Amino acid sequence: MAFELGILTFAEVTADPTTGAAPTPAERMAQTLEQARVADQVGLDVFAVGEHHRTDFISSEPHMLLAAAAAQTHDIKLASGVTVLSSEDPVRVFEHFAMLDLISNGRAEIVAGRGSYTESFPLFGYDLADYADLFREKLELLLAIRARNPVTWQGKFRAPLLDADIAPRPVGDLPIWVGVGGTPASSVRAGRLGLPMALALLLGPITQFESAVDHYRQAAAQAGHDAEALKISINAHGYVGTTSQGARDTMYPYFREGMRENNHQRGEGFSIPRNAFDAQSTPGGGLLVGSTDEIIDKLLTYHELYGLSRAVIQMGFGGVPQKEHLEAIERLGTEVAPVVRREVAARGRSAA
Amino acid sequence: MSRPLNVVVVNGSPNVASKTMGLVELITSALDAKLPIEVRRIDVYRLGEGFTSARERADVSDDVEEQLAAAETADVLIAASPVFRASYPGMFKHFFDLVGQYALANKPVILAATGGSDRHAMIIDHELRPLFAFFQANTIPVGFYANAGDFDGTLVLNAEVYSRIQIGLDDVIEQFRAIADDAPARSELSPLGH
Repeated sequence: MAFELGILTFAEVTADPTTGAAPTPAERMAQTLEQARVADQVGLDVFAVGEHHRTDFISSEPHMLLAAAAAQTHDIKLASGVTVLSSEDPVRVFEHFAMLDLISNGRAEIVAGRGSYTESFPLFGYDLADYADLFREKLELLLAIRARNPVTWQGKFRAPLLDADIAPRPVGDLPIWVGVGGTPASSVRAGRLGLPMALALLLGPITQFESAVDHYRQAAAQAGHDAEALKISINAHGYVGTTSQGARDTMYPYFREGMRENNHQRGEGFSIPRNAFDAQSTPGGGLLVGSTDEIIDKLLTYHELYGLSRAVIQMGFGGVPQKEHLEAIERLGTEVAPVVRREVAARGRSAA
Repeated sequence: MSRPLNVVVVNGSPNVASKTMGLVELITSALDAKLPIEVRRIDVYRLGEGFTSARERADVSDDVEEQLAAAETADVLIAASPVFRASYPGMFKHFFDLVGQYALANKPVILAATGGSDRHAMIIDHELRPLFAFFQANTIPVGFYANAGDFDGTLVLNAEVYSRIQIGLDDVIEQFRAIADDAPARSELSPLGH
């Protein structure tokens, strides 16, 4: 299995903590599309966009941003990261991504997750109390729509479908990944369904998903799937710099800013201390930040630990300036990716 | 006149490469970033026979007496222990069995512990805090706990632990600063009776 490397963005609009300046939503959109173009030009495999329904993000509809990116790129795969499936209508999700697949000639992928933020639930009339049931049912429907057309289906949260013709049909098989944040039940479900799993890593030891991956492969094998053939991807934060210290110094102030929303203490955003960030940057920590050599080493460690086939790195979190962000994308594509692909391919041969 | 805060760590871990001390290192470095401190560490597992054979305070060797006095006269005590069999190790308790009954009254005490999983996190509030309640010590409100999976060796890789330490110390830092600003070191006061 060829190793794929890509980038992920939430397309957030964050004021630069060093200058106080924030891009306008239109500026941010132009920058995000430029990131997609550069990622494609430097040979990266995946461009992924997250979904957030708040004014400090410009991507409530990832498929639209990806459609624009499709028109401006040639080879790169275009994925959501993640589609908050629990508060979506799977019919519309399938239609959107099938269209994206036609526009991009077979490059569309859905990464379906429950979402780490919950603002979309009241927005679309869903009750957070149904969190788990919603995802289970909607994933089932999405898979049914992909499997056959017309489709007949009945569930609890939407009107039944009777011989429904859902169009257009995609060019290819339209990959559907399950985004997993570490809940054991989520990885078991993904394994049982034989779906590729996208692990979202925020902070923590590099080994933190060992049990999730074990659960996933066990569940897949029990359900009769070829567990070793299933694809696993990680989404992690990082920054590829020219030097070890330089990469950390560039990334930290922005990451700290972005993380304030995710690191709450007593109900308020709290800055991650620098020594906590530096600990995550050591070989045992989860962040992919450092020189190209460090990133190569850590990606190979990730591959060894989890049998990964894809790593998607979020390098602009917290509003890293466009210039620095594009430089990191270029280094990832031209300096990191070729070495990691070669080393992983060599491992595959020696294992065979 | 300000002077360094006299911080004494009582370490209940038997290990040389200790996760418990890895956690304490985060606490002392966070304190050190806020005000000048001097740290002294007492490893209860290294105190020797003059400690382990003592049934009461009068039995301890001179060097152990000096260590007990250091804990009793600290500005701030850090009581740090791994979880052994649902609680702190007996050796750790033995140290505090020898501490004067009123020697820790109103003394700021920071509670820290490590365990094999988060199932043991309540050691802070169900085991350590009652021990220092007996001493009428002034335990700080937030306790610091990390599980074995949070570590790479002795380095903590759970960022929430770092944030919690910042929050917990911010609660009490003015009180600590006042101790360093106003008072002579407690060890310079007349010895407490035992």
